[in-house]
Amino acid sequence: MREPILKVKNLHYSYGTGNPALKGVSINIYQGEKIAVIGSNGSGKSTFFLNANGVLTADHGEISYQGTVINKKNSKELRKNIGIVFQDADDQIIASTVMAEVGFGPMNLKLPREEVIRRVDEALNYMNILDFKDRPPHYLSGGEKKRVTIADIIAMKSEVIIFDEPTAALDPLNAQMLEEVLVKLGAEGKTMLISTHDVDFAYRWAERAIVFDQGRIIADGTPLEIFNNSSILEQANLKRPAMLDVFEMLVDNKLIKDTNKYPTTPEELKILLEKQFNHC
Amino acid sequence: MENSASKSINFIKTSEKAEHQATHHHKIGHKHGEGSAIDYYAYASKIRHWNPGFKVAFSFTTLLLCIGLNNPIVSIAVILGMAFLTVVKGGLPLSAYLSVLLIPLTFILLGTIAIGVDFSRQPLGQFNLYLGLGYIFTSVDKLQEMAVLMLKVFGAISAMIMMTLSTPSAEMIGVLRKAHVPKLIIELMNLIYRYIFILLDVFNNMRNSADSRQGYCDFKTSCYTFGSVASNLLVVSLKKANAYYTAMEARGYDGDLFFLEEEKPFQTSHLFIAAGFLFFLLLLWYVMK
Repeated sequence: MREPILKVKNLHYSYGTGNPALKGVSINIYQGEKIAVIGSNGSGKSTFFLNANGVLTADHGEISYQGTVINKKNSKELRKNIGIVFQDADDQIIASTVMAEVGFGPMNLKLPREEVIRRVDEALNYMNILDFKDRPPHYLSGGEKKRVTIADIIAMKSEVIIFDEPTAALDPLNAQMLEEVLVKLGAEGKTMLISTHDVDFAYRWAERAIVFDQGRIIADGTPLEIFNNSSILEQANLKRPAMLDVFEMLVDNKLIKDTNKYPTTPEELKILLEKQFNHC
Repeated sequence: MENSASKSINFIKTSEKAEHQATHHHKIGHKHGEGSAIDYYAYASKIRHWNPGFKVAFSFTTLLLCIGLNNPIVSIAVILGMAFLTVVKGGLPLSAYLSVLLIPLTFILLGTIAIGVDFSRQPLGQFNLYLGLGYIFTSVDKLQEMAVLMLKVFGAISAMIMMTLSTPSAEMIGVLRKAHVPKLIIELMNLIYRYIFILLDVFNNMRNSADSRQGYCDFKTSCYTFGSVASNLLVVSLKKANAYYTAMEARGYDGDLFFLEEEKPFQTSHLFIAAGFLFFLLLLWYVMK
């Protein structure tokens, strides 16, 4: 068994005076995994992310990154290697030009200036926003701001990238752009965790899904396993992905053969149908 | 292959949208007051790529000369020179330039009238006007003094405006940082500049949502709504401040704000032209004095 890149053991966290937000979360995350984190609002996803990034310090429990247990002294390691793209781009963008914004993370890593500039150009190129380099963020549209926030994290060259509800507030074109970027990052072997309410997206993109409910992880498995488990869906108030329903209805009505290869997108279903009907 | 082609089309589309967005914002800038319009003009200026330190130094020297030499001809030369830089070199539409100048012009007029015109019980001066209780009076000398003063202030202001309309705030802050202004002030300036636009956005949203519910239907309601929006804005700001701090920490912020600044190459030809202009001002003064 390979060593997990991020290992979280029995994590407890509560905000100030309020109720505990995390009640014993344990999970192993491996290099290159594409994980969808699902669960209703207030189920502890964002708190978990902030703990994983080292911004919040857990009440109990332990986090290790590549075998090293994280404590107060080396929590900077976590921030360096685990980047978060926040839900609201305006919460994240702090500098007054795109270049300064993307350079903020690398500057905090105390890299030499030439290296910072190289990384900024690389990240802007990656997100196709090199033209916006010296534009102030208040002259960007929502989708462009989102790209800037992703470039922020790419410039830090984090091994693990966490996206907190990235598709919220994006128009379909920008959501598609985001998915293309996610696929590209995945192909480069980045480990990604994405919290989302979009079950269809989770179903087609993720290799693994984690379900949060009231500060606990109640399910961990492939999206197919999770979306086929009705008791978990009920407990976490989740819908089933449309493609899964469609496929099972087709199989139940004997319109297609059950090949145990579940299509996750309309295109995949089309290929499956063409295959079955051209050959039979 | 096909996929990558469609992707590039996508990006072209979005960049077109971005341009549209920028021009759109331009229009909004006009509506929402000169503040954000000036910010936009600075961003759109064609002389933005000039070294910001040079621009700041040049406009300050011009300002000092304009005030120090105290000569109407020099003032006129400064006004024309700065207008040339901003409108012709910077590519700012003349109407926009004039509308920006209109704000200080109002203050200059009000201020200088108080100097040129005086009030007395007796009919004094070359020109006077009886107003029942006393006389308003002035003289050619006084009016001349007023005109000279107006030109001087106007010249000084157009030098400052040349700088403002060609240097985005972020670069201006960079110049101040290099001039060793205390770090705390620099960091505050950076943050305030960024968040002022967010505050305006949030305020606009709140105001629109109140407006859509008849929150501004009469004066009394408007006052009440304004108060509610203001207090809500404070609560939201405090909450957001937390979110911003979290986001900064997540990217390794540990007490010092460092921003990457673009180094804009210093062009020696600019230095010569600037020196030439300043020398020309001195010459004008020497000849005209």
